[in-house]
Amino acid sequence: MTTQNAQAEQFDMTRPLPIVQPWSEAFWAGAREGKLLLQHCKECSATIFYPRKFCPECWSADIEWRQASGKATVYTFSTAYDMVEPRFWADLPYTIAYVDLAEGPRMMTRIVDCAPEDIKVGMKVEVTFHKLDDKFSLPFFRPAAK
Amino acid sequence: MGANKIAIIGIGEVPTRTMPERSRWDIIYDTCMEAVRDSGLSKNDIGAVISTSPQAQPQLTAELAFGKLPEELGLENCKDTCVVNAGGAGTSNCLRLAEQYIASGVADAVLVHHVTVHSTIPVPDLIAFFAKAGVDLQWEYPFGSTYNIIMGLMANRYMHETGCTPLQMASVVTALRSWASRDPHSIFYGKAVPSPEKVLESSLLNTPLHKRESNILADGGCAMVVVSAERAKKMGKPAAYKLGESVRYFSATPMMRNMEKMVYGLRDTAKEAIAQAGITSSDVDIWNVYLAYPLAHPIMAEALEIAPFGQGGQYFLEGRMSFGGDIPWSTIGDAPGRGHTGSGVSAAVYVETARQLMGKAGERQVPDCAYVYQNTSGGSGFNNIATIWGRDPK
Ligand SMILES: [Zn+2]
Repeated sequence: MTTQNAQAEQFDMTRPLPIVQPWSEAFWAGAREGKLLLQHCKECSATIFYPRKFCPECWSADIEWRQASGKATVYTFSTAYDMVEPRFWADLPYTIAYVDLAEGPRMMTRIVDCAPEDIKVGMKVEVTFHKLDDKFSLPFFRPAAK
Repeated sequence: MGANKIAIIGIGEVPTRTMPERSRWDIIYDTCMEAVRDSGLSKNDIGAVISTSPQAQPQLTAELAFGKLPEELGLENCKDTCVVNAGGAGTSNCLRLAEQYIASGVADAVLVHHVTVHSTIPVPDLIAFFAKAGVDLQWEYPFGSTYNIIMGLMANRYMHETGCTPLQMASVVTALRSWASRDPHSIFYGKAVPSPEKVLESSLLNTPLHKRESNILADGGCAMVVVSAERAKKMGKPAAYKLGESVRYFSATPMMRNMEKMVYGLRDTAKEAIAQAGITSSDVDIWNVYLAYPLAHPIMAEALEIAPFGQGGQYFLEGRMSFGGDIPWSTIGDAPGRGHTGSGVSAAVYVETARQLMGKAGERQVPDCAYVYQNTSGGSGFNNIATIWGRDPK
């Protein structure tokens, strides 16, 4: 918003961590180990993301975790150059995207290991985990290996 | 409950500006008193007060929610008051609740109002509020998403699907500002209207959004007096009659959003509201669209079937939605033209709808304005409420 260094001390510069619900703990435990986990409803076979307490399709409690392939396609993206919170300034520029997972659900992520101008809608990507701290790793995506 | 039961008979508004010298209550006094005077009623005719929840202003929200306004303004016959929050769709729900109060006999006349003063909120608090509002704190926020980025994601997909160009997108700002430059209540009143090329010269915030395609935070407030359609008709004053309404919920987290569901929802709510009003799309004199960001306007123009698929941006570039064009559109210039007052822009759009139907819109007055389509939407687009308002009762 204004001169970055002059303002920085007023702001919370710590990295925000996901605000977790009890039923999503397993997702973050998986991410810590480099696994992208999705919920699967054993009642109606729905693939569920983001994680829910009950299946949002049929309200069944009979839900299990399955590891996803980590393959996805870019649905859309936007590369940020300015006007993000001070706590994200150090990352600029960075690209936020929605990717459609091979298993169906769409998720928000970042696209990394790729120049912003090379990112395209429809691009094939694969998951790579970005460690925030000992508890949290965020699922980022990078161009899929050929 | 039918949609044709209420009318707006009085409006009050302060110009949207940066005005830290004015307290929120200062603005409340002026807007509410102006609306009551404009209605021809007296303060003791007001039977209820409903506030559109002011975003990022917790102290004011608490004061309003706990009943300070009727006491402050001496509304002796006020029977109830409350705050309604659905983000940018809040004012639509205030009007619905006003309709219920009137139908159930709680009140004969209801005062609906909004105020926001951004300029005295500390910058870190403002940034923190707008960074987190409408963004999922587990599945979006940690990645560094923002409101601007969400709009960028939607616009990039739309441009991919339709071939809409950056220049066409930028021309939406030109159209909105052409109205705003002629609106004494706009922060851009009397200011030069930027060409699409000039919009694109401004710095890139996040693809494809340029600085001039985003919003300026501002201070403002407005108020309306609502009575039954029957009573408005008897009073015989210029009024805005609610003739039709339709709504769809989409999803809270944009991540989960199905773009098709949203576009079909925009289309279907318009069709249903227009049908309920007993008119056709060609009867609509103004498309008073509220979307907060210019990037979503071409999508709306196509969803409303005003522009063919993929041509929304081109329509704006040709100036058809600009002041003087053949499709009067967002005649206060939406948030990019008015200045962003949180949930207040949608309230201001209702006031403008009423102003146009009352024939009081000055230079922006659309001649012989009989029917206005108006929408509101909350959060980062969780719903769409489409309404049709008329100069005359059904
Ligand atoms: Zn299920």
